[in-house]
Amino acid sequence: MSFFDKYASLIPVLLIYVVLFAIGILVPGMWQPVAFIMFYITLGQAFNIFLGLTGYVDFGYVAFLALGAYGMAIAVESLGGANLGFGIILIGLVLAIVMASILSLAVGAVALRLRGAYFAIATIGVNEGFRYFVEGARIWGGSEGIIISGAMRNIFGRETANFISTFVSDILVFIIAILAAIVTVLIMNRKMGYALMAVREDEDAAKVMGINVTKYKVMAFIASASFAGLIGASAWTLKMTYVFPSDVFLITYTVEAIVIVMLGGAGTLMGPVVGGLIYGILKYYLSITLPGFQLIILAPLLVVIVIAFPEGVVGALKRKARGNARKYLR
Amino acid sequence: MRIAKFGLLLALIVGLAFLGCAQQEQPKATPTPTPAATPEEKIPDKILIGGTLSLTGKYSKEGQMSLWGIQAAIKWVNDVHGGVNVGGKKVKLEFKYYDDESKKEAVQSLVERLITSDNAMFLLAPYSSGLTLAGAPIADKHKVLYMSHGGASDRIFEQGYAYVVQTLSPASEYMAPFLDMVKAVDPSAKKVAMVYEDSEFSKAVFAGARKHAEELGFEIVLEKTYPKNPTDLTPLLSEVKAASPDIIIGGGHFADGQLLASQMADLKLDAKAISILVAPALPKFYEALGTKAEGICAPGQWEVGVTYGPEAAKKSGIDYFGPSQDEFLNLFHEFAGKDTMPSYHAAEAAAAILAYAKAIEEANSLDTDKIRNTMNDLRFMTFFGEWKIDPATGKQIGHKMVIFQWQGGEKKIIWPPSAANAEPYYPIPTWDEKAAGKLAKK
Repeated sequence: MSFFDKYASLIPVLLIYVVLFAIGILVPGMWQPVAFIMFYITLGQAFNIFLGLTGYVDFGYVAFLALGAYGMAIAVESLGGANLGFGIILIGLVLAIVMASILSLAVGAVALRLRGAYFAIATIGVNEGFRYFVEGARIWGGSEGIIISGAMRNIFGRETANFISTFVSDILVFIIAILAAIVTVLIMNRKMGYALMAVREDEDAAKVMGINVTKYKVMAFIASASFAGLIGASAWTLKMTYVFPSDVFLITYTVEAIVIVMLGGAGTLMGPVVGGLIYGILKYYLSITLPGFQLIILAPLLVVIVIAFPEGVVGALKRKARGNARKYLR
Repeated sequence: MRIAKFGLLLALIVGLAFLGCAQQEQPKATPTPTPAATPEEKIPDKILIGGTLSLTGKYSKEGQMSLWGIQAAIKWVNDVHGGVNVGGKKVKLEFKYYDDESKKEAVQSLVERLITSDNAMFLLAPYSSGLTLAGAPIADKHKVLYMSHGGASDRIFEQGYAYVVQTLSPASEYMAPFLDMVKAVDPSAKKVAMVYEDSEFSKAVFAGARKHAEELGFEIVLEKTYPKNPTDLTPLLSEVKAASPDIIIGGGHFADGQLLASQMADLKLDAKAISILVAPALPKFYEALGTKAEGICAPGQWEVGVTYGPEAAKKSGIDYFGPSQDEFLNLFHEFAGKDTMPSYHAAEAAAAILAYAKAIEEANSLDTDKIRNTMNDLRFMTFFGEWKIDPATGKQIGHKMVIFQWQGGEKKIIWPPSAANAEPYYPIPTWDEKAAGKLAKK
C-alpha cells in the first residue's frame, strides 16, 4: 500500500469536518447546532478507537469523560488566581488526559483480562462506583460538584469567558475529532491495528500466534479514554461551566456512544462520523420540529437503520464499494 | 433488497436535507428588535419569549407542568389583560419552546436558536440548576434576559451573570420560614437538629437554614448528613435523640424523607416541631405513614390554596399583577385537562411570564438593559407570591416559601401568615399520642 492509500481514508472524514465547520461559521445561528452534532461525532470517534478496533463494549466509558471534565474544572478552580490566562486551559486539558488515562490503565489492567459480556459487566461498575466515590469521599466538591462560571469570568473577563464557552470549547472539540481520526488511522496502519483486528476476529487464535493481546487492548483502551477525557474537559466543563457528579457520571452517554458507533459501522474510520451525523442531526431537528415527541420518532428510525444496515451504514457501503472507492472507506 | 437499502438511505438524506433547508429558510427579514434608547422606540406586534423545557427525560413531569403554567399565564396576559402595555400599544405575548430532554448537550444550541433564528426577546431558563447554568453563557453573550423558574441553587447567582434573574425562592431560603414560624410561636425553643441528605440541593438548603437559625438565635445541637438512598437512619437518629433537640429539620428527596419520619416514630424521637424537605409535601407521604404524619411540616414554593391575591397585596402595600388563583386554575385546566391540578412548577413558570409582562410595562420599553434596571426596583405580587430580586445578583428575595403541615389528614398552609389557610399546630403530638389516635388538629 502506498502512503496515499494508507491515509486516503482520512480525506472524506476531514472533508466532512471542513463542511461542518464552514456551515457553522457562515450560516448565522448554526454554530451551536454544529457544535452539538460535533460532540456526538467526536464521542463516537473516541469510543470507536476501543470498541471498533477491539470489539469490546465498555459500559463505563462515560467515567473517562467525567474525569476529564473534573480535570479541567479542578485546573480552573484551583489555578484561577495564578494569572496564567489561556495556560489554564492547557493545564486543564493535560490534567484531563492524565486523570482519564490513569483510570483507564487501572480499569484496563484488571477488566481487560475478561472477555465479552464479563468485560461489559465489570465496566458498568466503574462508572457508578466512581460517582459514589466522588460523592462519598467528598473530593472535588463532593455531591455539590464544581461550578467554574464565576472563576472563568474572573480570570478571562466576561466577554472572553463567554467566547470560551460558546466558541473556543467547540473548536477544541473539532481538534479532538481530527486528532482522534488521525490516531485511528495510525493504529490501523500499524502492527497494533493488525493485532487488534486479529483480537476482534478470534482472540484465542491471536494469542496462539504469539500476539500480546492484553498489551494491545490496554493501549487501545488508554488511547480511547484519553480522547474521552479531552471531550469531557472541553465539551462539558469549558462549555457548560459546571460539573455535577449526577450530570457527568450518566450512563446515557455510554449508550449514545455505542449507538453512534454501531449506527455508522464499528471499526471503520468513517463509521462514527456518519453515525454521529445521523444521530446528532435527527436528534436536533426532531427536538425542534416535534418538541417532546422526538424520541418516539428517533427510536424507531434508529431501529430501522440498524436492521437495514447490520454492519452500520459505512460497513454496508464498504462492502458494496469497488476498486478505488474502497480505499477512501476504511 | 439492495435497492431497498439505498432507497432508504436516499430517503433519509433527502429528509435531512429538507429539515436542514427548513432551518435555513427561517424568516430573517424581521431583525431582532434592538430597541433604540430614544423615546420613539419601535414596538413590534408581538413579544416572543423563548425557552427550553424538559418535556422528556428525568425532569419531564416538571417540564410538562411548566409548559401548562406558561400557557395559562400567556393566555391571561393576552386575553384577559389584553396584551402587554408598552409604548402606548397593547402587545401580545408569544411563547416558543424546544425540548432539551433534561440533558445539558442541547441546551446551548436550542437557546442560541431561540435568540438568533426565532428572535426571542426574553428567555425562560431550563428546569434545574445545572441546565440553567449550561444556557447562561449564551444568554449572557447575546445580552438577553434569562429568567430562572426552576433553578433554585444560590450558586447560579454567585457567578456574576448580569442577565440571569430568578422567580422562585433560592435553595437557601427553603427552611427559613419554618424557623421564623417556630420563633414566632415559641420563642423558648432553642435547640435545632439537622439531619439531611448529602446532595447538591439539600446542602444548599441546610447551609441557608444554619445561617438563618443562627441569626434567629437558635442553637444547632447536631448536624449530620447521610448518603443518597439510605436504608437505615436509626444510628443517626439515635444521636439526634441523645441531643434532645426542640425542633428537627432534615430530608432530601421523597424516599429518605419518608424513612426519616417512620424511623423517628420507631425510635419515639419526639420534638416540638419537625420539618422535612420534599416528602411531606406529597400526598403519598400521608398515604404511607397515616396518622404518624400528623403535624409534620414541609416547605414548598407554592400550593393550591395559598391566599396570595389582590387583598394580600394591598395589605403589604404592593401591586398585584396577573390572574387570581381561581382564574389561574381555570386557565390551567384549559391546557392540562380538568383532572390535573397544578404543582408549584406550573405556578413558578407562570409567575416568570407574569414578571416579564409586569417588568416590560413598568419599564415601558423592550430594551433589555432598561428592563433589567427596572427589575431592580420592581416589587409586586402574583398568585405565586411576592416578586423582588436582589439588584446585584438577580436572586429572588421577595418570594417566600410556604410551610405545609399535616393536620387531621389534610395538608394545610400554616406560614407565612399572608398565605396561610390554617394556624400552625405547635407543639406537635408525640409519637405515643399519635399512636393513640391523636391528630394535629385543634
